[in-house]
Amino acid sequence: MNDKNKIIKQTFQKVFDDLEVVLGWKQGFDSLHMTPAFIRKASDLDQLVFNPQCVQNLSGYLFSTLKAADPEKQGKIGICVKGCDSRSLTALIQEGLVERDRVYIVGIPCKGVVDVKKLRNLKPSLTEISGITIEADEVVIEADGKTERFPIADVLAHKCLQCRYPNPLIYDALIGEPVTARVAQDAARPAVEQLDALSLEARRNFWLTEMDRCIRCYACRNACPMCVCQDSCIAETRSPKWLSQRSDISEKFLFHMIRTVHLAGRCTECGECMRVCPVDIPVTLLMEKMNCIVKELFDYEAGIDPESKPPLQTYDSSKTGI
Amino acid sequence: MKKYLMENLQQNSTEEQKIRIIGFLCNWCSYGGADTAGVCRFKQPTDLRIIRIPCTGRMDPMFAIKALINGADGVLVSGCHPNDCHYSVGNFYARRRMEALKRFLPFVGIDTQRFHYTWVSASEGQVWQQVVTEFTEKIHQLGPNPGFHINPDIQQPLSLAL
Repeated sequence: MNDKNKIIKQTFQKVFDDLEVVLGWKQGFDSLHMTPAFIRKASDLDQLVFNPQCVQNLSGYLFSTLKAADPEKQGKIGICVKGCDSRSLTALIQEGLVERDRVYIVGIPCKGVVDVKKLRNLKPSLTEISGITIEADEVVIEADGKTERFPIADVLAHKCLQCRYPNPLIYDALIGEPVTARVAQDAARPAVEQLDALSLEARRNFWLTEMDRCIRCYACRNACPMCVCQDSCIAETRSPKWLSQRSDISEKFLFHMIRTVHLAGRCTECGECMRVCPVDIPVTLLMEKMNCIVKELFDYEAGIDPESKPPLQTYDSSKTGI
Repeated sequence: MKKYLMENLQQNSTEEQKIRIIGFLCNWCSYGGADTAGVCRFKQPTDLRIIRIPCTGRMDPMFAIKALINGADGVLVSGCHPNDCHYSVGNFYARRRMEALKRFLPFVGIDTQRFHYTWVSASEGQVWQQVVTEFTEKIHQLGPNPGFHINPDIQQPLSLAL
């Protein structure tokens, strides 16, 4: 057990009496996978871990956990957040979906998380991992008794390679020292730029090929912390009937466009949608592009300031403005 | 279904000028403006099919997207001028959504010229005639919209810096 895990545990122990449940990460079915932990007993706090395999954005569980919480007790919910997760949490607070005083936030500065798919491609035989550490431009993996180094681009998740906010923006307790961001605040998104450079026809073909694979499992929606209408999602309603059960590319694409439109100015680029996609569609790119547009038009980034209002939920009343 | 759509699309590309444009017009201004243009007997192109909406604030960007993905050749949205909205602020919300959508469309391979939003008041019959004529001409230049139905036979999928 390393120092960080110990501090996380101690931080929660101090306030555990006020908390109804603690959301953190614990080890999953093997040493490569970490899984979300819902801790209700103080003795279980030992299970909490933090390492580069803690990829899940826990703020996605917050909305439903708060809804299911005992309304009489009004207990707080403890939650661990990385930099990107804290933006999702801020966005939820902004929209009044989560009350700030009902959460106890433990912020953890993060150097990036591992993309399990990338790692599996690199080392298909990986079984016992004893530790993954992230240095400036290398990932050190200790596995099966050996130590190996890989360039970060080969192992880290897509979102981490262009991470602007590695430090939590909102927290009650901070674990460890803040880290420096990997890219500048106004740095471009390489994948989006690459697509933008193509011709209109090539872009259309790209999305047609990608969307053709979609199996409409809706995992991207279910993993998204900002897709809060889940049970009454318009993709599944009969009235209005936006989508049919046909497996046509246009129907699949329409579903992704619904998400893009609904997340315009709200998406915090936590990358959960792309991580959970079983057929590897780069769904995040749609939101990233929309975020670039929102930044350009309204000079706004989602999940930064809990007091501000998402730009598409307000307006500018001047005659010539947008 | 797919076969039918393919045939339909092929027909479109061979038959000259079979163009479908969808117009979403606000009940209070632009629909009245189009009516005025009709009453004044201004000559207008006939490719536009008008859908009356209560306010451009009701204009869900998905309406435009669904039409364009399913093969409409152009989408025109028209409402009251800013500050003249019947519901005070409906068109202010609409303006933001429409502008964001307009800039987004090229990213998925839809020509941004196929989508246009504008403001026309109920008395501006002449302006309406001009708007609709210009937009229709532009769409005719662009030709039919291929839509999002046919799977392209891509030899080598694109790999991005992800």
